[in-house]
Amino acid sequence: MLGPDVTWYLAISAVLFAIGATGVVLRRSPLIVLLSLEIMLNASNLAFVGFSRHFGTVDGQIFALCVMAVAAAEVCVGLGMIVAFSRRRMALDVDTLTELHG
Amino acid sequence: MIAGAWLCLLAPLAGALLITLAGTRISRAAAAWISTGSVFLGFAGAVDAFIRVLGESPEDRTHLSTAYTWVTAGSFKVSMQILVDPVSLTMMLIVTGVGGLIVWYSMGYMKGEDEERRYFAYMALFVFAMLMLVMGGNLLLLLVGWGLVGLASYLLIGFYHERPEAVAAAKKAFLMNAIGDATMALGFFLLIAKTGTLAFPTEASAGALSSSTANLVALGLLGGAIAKSAQLPLHTWLPDAMEGPTPVSALIHAATMVTAGVYLIVRTHLIFQAAPDVQHLSAVLGGITIVVAGVIALVQWDIKRVIAYSTMSQIGYMFLAAGLGAYGYAMFHLMTHAFFKALLFLSAGVIIHHLAGEQDIRKMGGLRKVMPFTHAAFLVGALALAGIPPLSGFWSKDGIIASSFAEGGVLGYSLFALALLGALLTGAYTFRLYFLVFHGPPSDLVLEHAGGHGSGHAHGTEGAEGHGEHAHGEGPLSMLIPVGILTVLAAIGGLLVIPGVWEPFLTWIDSVAEPLVTATPGQDYATSVLAVSIGGIGIWLAWRAFVAGRELVATGGIRTALEHKLYFDELYDAVFSRPAQLVANLLRERVEEPVVQGSLPEIGAGVEDAADGTARLQSGLLRSYALVVAASVAVLVVVFVAVR
Repeated sequence: MLGPDVTWYLAISAVLFAIGATGVVLRRSPLIVLLSLEIMLNASNLAFVGFSRHFGTVDGQIFALCVMAVAAAEVCVGLGMIVAFSRRRMALDVDTLTELHG
Repeated sequence: MIAGAWLCLLAPLAGALLITLAGTRISRAAAAWISTGSVFLGFAGAVDAFIRVLGESPEDRTHLSTAYTWVTAGSFKVSMQILVDPVSLTMMLIVTGVGGLIVWYSMGYMKGEDEERRYFAYMALFVFAMLMLVMGGNLLLLLVGWGLVGLASYLLIGFYHERPEAVAAAKKAFLMNAIGDATMALGFFLLIAKTGTLAFPTEASAGALSSSTANLVALGLLGGAIAKSAQLPLHTWLPDAMEGPTPVSALIHAATMVTAGVYLIVRTHLIFQAAPDVQHLSAVLGGITIVVAGVIALVQWDIKRVIAYSTMSQIGYMFLAAGLGAYGYAMFHLMTHAFFKALLFLSAGVIIHHLAGEQDIRKMGGLRKVMPFTHAAFLVGALALAGIPPLSGFWSKDGIIASSFAEGGVLGYSLFALALLGALLTGAYTFRLYFLVFHGPPSDLVLEHAGGHGSGHAHGTEGAEGHGEHAHGEGPLSMLIPVGILTVLAAIGGLLVIPGVWEPFLTWIDSVAEPLVTATPGQDYATSVLAVSIGGIGIWLAWRAFVAGRELVATGGIRTALEHKLYFDELYDAVFSRPAQLVANLLRERVEEPVVQGSLPEIGAGVEDAADGTARLQSGLLRSYALVVAASVAVLVVVFVAVR
């Protein structure tokens, strides 16, 4: 087998996931939150593909494709919302967008 | 044979459905004709079946026909099946024959009534239900018919639903019958649990029951029988049931449904024979009912109530006969009673119709001259009821009295005494009624209605308008013809059994239910002489009292007690109704209002508080949600790893 062991891929995936999660929790701009979410999704994709390669099956790769499709859809909605916010001249700050509180 | 029997069962059902579904698209007269026609079609089917069965040898006369299997549960099967044998054929002929005449009579009686179509649909439904009861080929179908006749009876007693008394009477009848239905169903359940089948008991299956089981089953069945047949102590509903239209009283509460208890005992006689004590109990209850109902009938003022108490008393004779094992005579009295009691009720109906709904015999009198035809018919019915030869009641009632004499022993002789006392009372109350209604000078009410009956008049309590077609001064032909036919039947119907000479009816029934006691012709004629003279004394007493212008029972205390129907209603009110109301009120005050209703606002407030608290968790802060999710995942990971 060429290249590094699956552990390395998983490690990178974990690091990417942590970076993404930190971004989602700490950053207040919705755009950055979306970007961080994408990083988290891609971290999971990396893990899928890494395992797929490790076990020699294609299941993980198919999953990764599905995740990409979902991510694309999610970005459409998310970016659409952000455009809608800025058109209404609302503050682009997730801490002030609390209209749906109980 | 079987085709005729199925036609008999299904024709009235089809009639009822047709009237119901057609609704107002058909005229009232058409509804009446459909109902009458369907019942007579059933009669034709019954006659066809009867003639064919009559042509068979006595031991082959039982036929069980299965249409399809209705319920299957493992090895347990319930089929939609009918049983055609001499007993059920007798009942089929009575139900459809007398029933058809009465429905026909209703055409004139109910004319102009509101909701005539509903009435005729109910009548056809009743006939179907009664046929289901008597033709049902297993215990479950018998129970189905039993319940359906109760329903039809309830609907018809409460037919005048705008009258509170009628509604109360309907409810009372339903409740009293429900007690009997419950005990009967329990009896059936026990029987099914022990024998594993719904088929009617055979000698083998009844013989295999332990005596305690047989006793319990028989008691349950007896409970059902006495409730349906208005025997003591479940009799109080029948007099009140007279709130229904008169033809209903004639059909359901005299000729057919109330005799279902007798049919039940004959049908399941093997169970009763396995429990002789219970069978004797039914004879004793019958004997007591004969006398109790007879004395109460002595003081009633309502023409229909007198006849209703007389019905109870006569069914007492049937129970006495069935309880002693004289099944042939029980069925025979059932048949002759159907003829003469339907005749009496229908004649009373002609009078009530003529007098614009008046039922109080104190306001009647002298009708003999005004209504000669009705007078003759009523007189035949009354003489048959009092057991005067050669009319039908004589042959059947005296057979029962002779059977109790032939039974002998303490039981037999005391029942014999009760039956003779009953004969005296029958003569007295019947002829008190007859003299008060037909003899003496015409009352004001009678004079008022004597001439102008042709042009239509208000129908008094029953709220109907008058009627046009009067060929006769006494009522429409559709009423008088059935009365005439029943008069003939009541007169000659008894000739089917002449002891010692010609007993085709008894041999007919005996092939299904072997009698336990048979009187010799000598005993029969000796007791007949006694019974007829005692009945004659009763009639003479009634005549003497009538001529002297006084009541038969004049003394204060006894009369008051009788007028209160021996306080049965008051007793049940005090023992069952009031305690139940007391408990219910107590529960309402102590439980319902403070606990159940009182807790509702608190439960509401508690839910609201909880909801407020939960809502606070939803802050709307996206980042805190994300943190919670991330933290939860972290915790889960730790937990999973740790559990590993």
